[in-house]
Amino acid sequence: MSVATGRLSRRSVLALGAGGVATAAGAGLLVAHLPDLLRPAPAAAQPTSGWASPLGTARGLAAHLLRRAGFGYTAAELDAAAALPYAQLVEHVLAQQPEPLPAVATPGPQRVVSAWYAHMATTTAQFPERMTLFWHGVLTSSFRSAAQLPIVAQQNALFRDRGRGDLRSLLLAVTYDPLMIRYLDLQQSTAAAPNENYSRELMELFTLGPGNYTETDVREGARALSGIRMVLVDANGSPVPLARAGMTAQQYAAHIAQLVAQGATFKGILLRRQHDAGTKTFLGRSGNLGPEEVVDAILAQPACAQHVATRALTYFCSPAPSEALVTSVANAFRSSGYDVTAMMRAIFTSDDFVAAANYRSLVRSPADYMVAAMRALGRPQLAALATRSGPGMDQSLYDPPNVAGWPGNAGWVSSAAWLARVNFAERAVARGPMPDAQSALQTQLDGVLSDSTHAVLSRSASESDRWYALLASPEFNLK
Amino acid sequence: MITRRDFLVSGLTATAAGVIVPPVLAKSVFAATADGIHNDRVLVVVQLAGGNDGLNTVVPYADPAYMDARPTLRVQPGTVLALDSHTGLNPALTGLKRLYDAGEVAVVQGVGYDNPSYSHFESMYVWEHADPARRQTDGWLGTLLAKQLDTQGHPLTACALGDVSTPPEMLASKAEVSVIQSVAAYQVQGGASRESAAPALYRSTPGAYGALFDSALSTAETGIAALHAPGVAYSPAVPYTPSSAASPLATSLQLTAEMIVTQPSVKVCHVLLSGFDTHQDEVRRQTALLQQVDAALSAFMQDMAAHGQADRVVLMTWSEFGRRIHENGSQGTDHGAAAPLFILGKPVKGGLYGETPSLTDTIDSGNLKHSVDFRSVYQAVVGDWLQGDAASVLGGAFPALPLFR
Repeated sequence: MSVATGRLSRRSVLALGAGGVATAAGAGLLVAHLPDLLRPAPAAAQPTSGWASPLGTARGLAAHLLRRAGFGYTAAELDAAAALPYAQLVEHVLAQQPEPLPAVATPGPQRVVSAWYAHMATTTAQFPERMTLFWHGVLTSSFRSAAQLPIVAQQNALFRDRGRGDLRSLLLAVTYDPLMIRYLDLQQSTAAAPNENYSRELMELFTLGPGNYTETDVREGARALSGIRMVLVDANGSPVPLARAGMTAQQYAAHIAQLVAQGATFKGILLRRQHDAGTKTFLGRSGNLGPEEVVDAILAQPACAQHVATRALTYFCSPAPSEALVTSVANAFRSSGYDVTAMMRAIFTSDDFVAAANYRSLVRSPADYMVAAMRALGRPQLAALATRSGPGMDQSLYDPPNVAGWPGNAGWVSSAAWLARVNFAERAVARGPMPDAQSALQTQLDGVLSDSTHAVLSRSASESDRWYALLASPEFNLK
Repeated sequence: MITRRDFLVSGLTATAAGVIVPPVLAKSVFAATADGIHNDRVLVVVQLAGGNDGLNTVVPYADPAYMDARPTLRVQPGTVLALDSHTGLNPALTGLKRLYDAGEVAVVQGVGYDNPSYSHFESMYVWEHADPARRQTDGWLGTLLAKQLDTQGHPLTACALGDVSTPPEMLASKAEVSVIQSVAAYQVQGGASRESAAPALYRSTPGAYGALFDSALSTAETGIAALHAPGVAYSPAVPYTPSSAASPLATSLQLTAEMIVTQPSVKVCHVLLSGFDTHQDEVRRQTALLQQVDAALSAFMQDMAAHGQADRVVLMTWSEFGRRIHENGSQGTDHGAAAPLFILGKPVKGGLYGETPSLTDTIDSGNLKHSVDFRSVYQAVVGDWLQGDAASVLGGAFPALPLFR
């Protein structure tokens, strides 16, 4: 297959819909002309993704960035983005300010997830929303730990507000986040018998990676983190006593909901009488260490920037980033004082990000896939369907398979998960109205189609058949 | 040329020698590679994810050190289901005890590996890849499938049931795994045009994910054809309790039984139950999980017997580690090391295997030493049960435990 060499193959010519070859082959359904995609392709020796890369064009590059830094776009949004020089587009994206999640009337976890899907599908501040989803996968928690308390939406807001700022503030906020406190068992950790769960995962999964700390660090970290508790405070910050004697779980939840409606919020505090005030030695630092010192000791480790940069690169750039790329992004991150936006700028402006080899090098996560479909169709009302469909694709937001969050890229692929994806596409196109499918092949798929996708499209008789083929295609499942 | 996929969907099947045989037989014939496994034996692997507390599963109830280490979590000696004068099962495991008494359960104690990792993900990786050095990239079942069981075009040879993702232990580049959450969900919705369009989109997909994508869709396509073809009917011979809604494991194992009864090509199944990471509130949480395990495993074994499958099915459990000897202050236990596992089935030579681990002669500040390398269990299961070449799966020979009759 000549596509693999990076030259313009029959497939890519067909897909571009330009010239007589395509028409003669019956590909006349592709009406949109994109002459700038017909520039000479990169030299054959350059590594490619197996697809004819459109990243040499302004429109192709803009689409690539919007798919990864956000979720998707309409044709008009893509046109506007492609009109900016790439460096300026990156700054435009990075400067987006988050729009809060609309309040959910009944704050059950499913309602929060459904509201979040709708928000991801509608907000113009896509980059902050994308970072919210990214951090939910890295610093993950489960709604199952929330019981009926309204702390899922609270953690969601934390990532939206702080997900692009400095890592130190983010890690401290997460350490004191009510849902995290419950999810990784800080709530029960005492000076007498510290619970190691958060201490271990903070280092192994959130910041350093295995091999960069010892079992002694896990135990000493647990001591330093002992005594963190979730409390309810009123609008003035004063603690609200929580007595639930004699109440059923439902009565208790209703009682809490009433207090929250009056302005009370949950927050994490360090309860001195449950905190181990002795001397600990953690990652080479000794003293009466507490949560702040734990975070600072972690940030002093070179492994921290490397680990977080690797997590970000495999999510945003390349499934297997080179050591040089990781080091370069990690250096930019650390020298910025761990500014997440600086790290993201380093990623989006790296040569690797725009390299042909990274065109369609990432697999859309289920949430990403469904939100992109909702945006392409202009149908945020599919949020409830997305919430129901996620589990079959291996992603229920706020219900990760374990504390490592979700797999990525190849890890998403299974027979069951792909049936769930194509069946989501079927449900999504079952009811109209829909935008023009032919131009969507250009807008959403850059006009770069495999022979098989092209053949199925050629046989498709209706708009909904064409949209089905588009959304169910391998092309739309990649980014 | 007729492809292997065509064999499955056609009414009759030709063997390599040109003999026409009915598809039901042909599938098991073709599920073996030329020099691979040729028998009708089935292995079911049940993963208990999160690190099941071994000391409260197979309880050293006569050991004073156990009583001291577990002031709030200990299983009371009077309630233990004694296997001998010092070891007993958690009282939730009544069904397993009955099977043990019938000689159909091997309880292997102290299973682990040298220099154990206390990370869930590292230790899972070790077990999944049969490699404490964590260098292997193919899972041990995936290697078995790729080298000794021809899965290409036989999508129901390896099944991950009740789940939606491919278990890492089954991953290998040449292993096709059918991941089936439920038979009802395992279909292309939207009618005939969608049924033809969806797989057609995934033929010869370019790029790094092309083969993986294509394999997922072609596995689904052939699996759907086999599952929905007229054939042997299945209904559970015993109730799987508690109700499937309350027990994901019962749902998965009932589906496993259905697959084994109706699909002769099935050789290796994987099911998963999560939630064993009991850092807090352990007694309540582990009891509920062990009850679920006990009920589902008991029902499955009875169901297999009732369907005349008991002689060809063996089930094993595993968990990435046991838990710390001493409880923490949250009525839970932190990550530990060696732990017991169970091998069930009529072909199993029941009894206690391995040494009861010492609670005083420990490693890494209060963790159990192993007496059985987990690969000795794999060796027995692959070599003695499936009659495969275990060394090629495990990268070397390990002393097999004599687990089978």
